[in-house]
Amino acid sequence: MGKTSYMKLQGSHQLRQRLVLATLATTPILVEDIRSDDTSPGLRPYEVSLLRLIEKISDDCTVEINETGTKLRYKPGTLMGGRYLVHDCGLSRSIGYFLEPLILLGLFGKKPLSIRLKGITNDTKDPSADTFRTTTLHMLKRFGVPLEGLEMKIESRGAPPLGGGEVILGVPIVPSSLTATHWVDEGMVKSIRGVTFSTRVSPQIGNRMIYAARGVFNRFIPDVHIFTDHRSGPSGGRSPGYGVSLVAETTSGCLISTDIAVSYPRAEETNALEDSDEKPELLPPEDVGVQVASMLLEEIEQGGVVDSTHQGLLFLLCALCPPDVSKVRVGKLTPYGIETLRNIRDFLGVKFVIKPDPTTNTVILKCVGCGMKNLSRKVT
Amino acid sequence: SKWKESLLVRTKSRQNGNLMQLVYGPNVTSSTATLREAHDSSDSDESNEDFFMPKGERTKKLSDKLGVENINAEDSSKFIGIQVKDWSDENLIKSIRDRFVTGDWSKASQRGAGVEGLGDDEA
Repeated sequence: MGKTSYMKLQGSHQLRQRLVLATLATTPILVEDIRSDDTSPGLRPYEVSLLRLIEKISDDCTVEINETGTKLRYKPGTLMGGRYLVHDCGLSRSIGYFLEPLILLGLFGKKPLSIRLKGITNDTKDPSADTFRTTTLHMLKRFGVPLEGLEMKIESRGAPPLGGGEVILGVPIVPSSLTATHWVDEGMVKSIRGVTFSTRVSPQIGNRMIYAARGVFNRFIPDVHIFTDHRSGPSGGRSPGYGVSLVAETTSGCLISTDIAVSYPRAEETNALEDSDEKPELLPPEDVGVQVASMLLEEIEQGGVVDSTHQGLLFLLCALCPPDVSKVRVGKLTPYGIETLRNIRDFLGVKFVIKPDPTTNTVILKCVGCGMKNLSRKVT
Repeated sequence: SKWKESLLVRTKSRQNGNLMQLVYGPNVTSSTATLREAHDSSDSDESNEDFFMPKGERTKKLSDKLGVENINAEDSSKFIGIQVKDWSDENLIKSIRDRFVTGDWSKASQRGAGVEGLGDDEA
């Protein structure tokens, strides 16, 4: 075999996006200095788990990690997809961490993907499984992804630290490519929907959160419906926790989401702080409700067709379109969004034209897609 | 008045440049192609020996890269860190009043009209 030239990258930041883009652009990458100055150097368990997951859905890809885990070589293979796959996401990051890259990889596979993911469904670091179901999947419609087969089901919930949740994700393949979108009309917020979750706590907590959140929205809009999803028994996972996921729908069909989750911290997090033995107090449900409602209002204030969490995915989808102009509007660019734009330039060679819209304090981005085609798909 | 118009246009274009610079760095001209070429050439020179390198050299290389604050920052798409505002405040409520269907529809449509104007400018 001929020698492959690797694209050299440094550090563990943006590893997910880099892996996704490397796979889609079939660029082998060599990542160095992964937490090399850290007291516990190298890849984290969730990053290794993500690599395993990518191996699972693709054929002929190679992953090499050095002894300390500070260097990683990744040579992408062919994305296969497949049915009835199972992956244990571990407990160091929630399922949301894995869903974000997985959905992009699934779209460009040979066969539709259906996979059962086990782990934590709701936590603070990543978008929750609820947000993913209500908002993220709907974003794909704008880019011409077939609705059939695009689904997610939360079989059981799991809060940190012990998890125990399970979700089933189904992603269809794109027939040949995505379609470019012109998506700048934010519209006006017409309704607010949401769902609370509570596991291994009093079922009343859900209603207390709803009551508090509704109090905030009363000044704005009457059409507020938040459902409760209380799980007990095995479908409630192994740890107590509760939280809310909210979505604001606008007249132009944009979905602005936010979520929050409260649970007891993971063991490694408390050790670092050298806390006492007693369990820390959780944020009261009323405060959770007010906070999540305020967060949603802040997202609405920012403007844009997606919320701050989905900026990265939006830009990626735009860049993966056929060579056609896409135009989108977002609120203030987030650090993650900016990093995404840089990664897109490095891997796909797509540069966005970024213009602020001073009258609304939003940002308009335009780009010509890189012309990504689903090459793994079976040609008939 | 008329004399302000040229100033306005200039400020607008400057802001625009700033945002592009913020994302892609000050040397906007350096394209991906050159970046990748550089990677390829260095790769062929060092090949596998690169796995072992003195620590000092590594940091030197690191500083060359543009705009990377913390190369091992947490990988999360959620944007956390802003203090939530108190949304019972009357002024705050007023500021986003028209983003809801219960607000003033004509003001909301102005928001959309602004975009169309901007779109025309670009063309």
